[in-house]
Amino acid sequence: MNPDDAAFEARLRAIGSTRYHDRHRFNLRMHEGKLSRGEIQTWVLNRYYYQTRIPIKDSLIVAKAQDAEFRRGWVQRIHDHDGEREGEGGLELWLVLADAVGLDRAEVARLQRVLPGVRRACDEYVRFVEDHDLLESVASSLTEMFAGDIMKLRIAAFEEHYPWVEIEGLRYFRSRTKQAPRDAAWGLAYVLREAHTEADRDRCAAALERKCEILWSLLDAVEAAHAHPALTPYAQLRESSADQPATVVLPERAVELNPSGREILELCDGARSALHIAEELRRRHPDGEDVEADTHAFLAQMRSLGVLRTGQ
Amino acid sequence: MSAPRPYNLVAELTYRCPLRCAYCSNPLSFRDTREALHGAAWGQVLRDAAELGVVHVGLTGGEPTLHPNLAEIVAAASEAEIYTHLVTAGTTLDLPGLRTLRDAGLRSVQLSVQDSRPAESDRIAGVESFARKLEFARDVRALDLPLSLNVVIHRHNLSRVPELIDLARELGAHRLELANAQYHGWALLNREQLLPTQAQIDSAARAVEAARRQHPEPEIIFVFPDYHRGRPKPCMGGWGRRVAVVAPDGRVLPCHSAAELPGLEFWSVADRPFRACWEDAPGMNLYRGQDWMPEPCRSCPERERDFGGCRCQAFALTGDAGATDPACDLAASHDLILAARRAAEQAEGSPLQLRYRG
Repeated sequence: MNPDDAAFEARLRAIGSTRYHDRHRFNLRMHEGKLSRGEIQTWVLNRYYYQTRIPIKDSLIVAKAQDAEFRRGWVQRIHDHDGEREGEGGLELWLVLADAVGLDRAEVARLQRVLPGVRRACDEYVRFVEDHDLLESVASSLTEMFAGDIMKLRIAAFEEHYPWVEIEGLRYFRSRTKQAPRDAAWGLAYVLREAHTEADRDRCAAALERKCEILWSLLDAVEAAHAHPALTPYAQLRESSADQPATVVLPERAVELNPSGREILELCDGARSALHIAEELRRRHPDGEDVEADTHAFLAQMRSLGVLRTGQ
Repeated sequence: MSAPRPYNLVAELTYRCPLRCAYCSNPLSFRDTREALHGAAWGQVLRDAAELGVVHVGLTGGEPTLHPNLAEIVAAASEAEIYTHLVTAGTTLDLPGLRTLRDAGLRSVQLSVQDSRPAESDRIAGVESFARKLEFARDVRALDLPLSLNVVIHRHNLSRVPELIDLARELGAHRLELANAQYHGWALLNREQLLPTQAQIDSAARAVEAARRQHPEPEIIFVFPDYHRGRPKPCMGGWGRRVAVVAPDGRVLPCHSAAELPGLEFWSVADRPFRACWEDAPGMNLYRGQDWMPEPCRSCPERERDFGGCRCQAFALTGDAGATDPACDLAASHDLILAARRAAEQAEGSPLQLRYRG
């Protein structure tokens, strides 16, 4: 390998070692055996949405390629996920995992309970591939370079810490320990060969960083669903009056709430999780559309504005 | 147009300050400004402002703790149910003094530091102050008040953004504001010394991104400077729109430095009720809304977001406060900004020679 390629590969690997989601607190807790049954279920249910985006993303990549050999190689990934026939492939194996952790696979497959933050992250990945060229799209898939290791960690962690998960459920992880390194080697060889200029390499590095951020924010959203939001201690809550809406005042900003925002905030008592709050609102407003998703989106917005703090 | 509801009052209690920062946002003529308002008068302003819809007051200056009636003013704000936020340099108040303010209803504190390193911080401030500031920050946290750190950012401290983030974490700050120096007033006099290079800004932005990934606290505010973004800043969230500034002499202003603009008539709460000063003073209405805008602002979709930029910057650089902000790359005068940036790139590495506020 020429020294330029070696330096470029090292640069890409360094992105993984600092930004890949194996370092995310949720994954660390998963591998340490610290997740509750509910947290595992939320992760499996939501991560399925990511799994469903993968073959769509790969189809977009195939459609960008001018070269038959590239397409023959890449199309294998679509077969891996979708299977050669009904009841096979990575998506099916993920539903086996859903069964194994005690979820209703039909409900998981309907994708209706996907958290808005997870949906946004996964859709952003598909959009990234739509909007970028073949080189950047392939570079964004190179998180697979780091996936083989995380799968092994995960299998060991599930066997040791989560004995209630049926062993059958781990088949997806096992299949990926072989597929991910193969795919990664293929993608890496392509990127090393086709990134000719320094600018190309910068674009590839940026694409891989972006992808790491997307995986990271997916876990942020899963983690937030189990956090227990509460009004920030130094916030001042002003109730609505005849001419002013309810308002939360903070050291450096004021946030106005509409009546449904005010109702959600009332439930943020530090004892209920975001999931419980969303369920409670669904119970109160059975006819509302997207009540749970809207609640999670509102809670995320209030967290980013500093109105809410979250404890685990 | 009719006056909108103000949300935030910036109460400049005094222009006096023990620091002499070379980018101070107070007017160059600050010495000529009389302190007209005592505690009771500020109390009236706060009650009137609350009536109009103000929910938050920043007590600032100069150094607001030098005002003899500060505790009374805090109590009046608290009484009017206004969130009370103290903006201080942190060199003047001891722990008992701070406790008195907290007991009077003070809810949060913003502390300015000039740099992460003692000698550099003191050099910008023009006086020895860094060690005292850290002591003050610990007092704030000891009283369980939320602390935010504000650092004015320029060429000579931009490389220390990672250290500043560490400092904010060590002090338990919930927020770190990396505020670009605003190049009018004192900072314009020192612009060639202070304006950062593009490479510095990019590297600071990366450090901020990395810190945010590491941990959500503190919230880090880092806005790309208008000189380098090609778009003006939404100055004060719009002229006379959300924020009312009350100067030490009682004049109600749309921003900290609008009193420097020649020919604009602002009214003082020493002569008229706050509502009239906010709603009806000719100067307050001159650049309110969009009717005053020249092209290209008038038909630009960005006007809803940037409100036409900064009037004081337009005046400082073009001599016309009603001109398009030169920071906008659509402005005829944008070359002035590009020239200043070129000068900054060339002056990189030159030793620091500042003109202090004095």
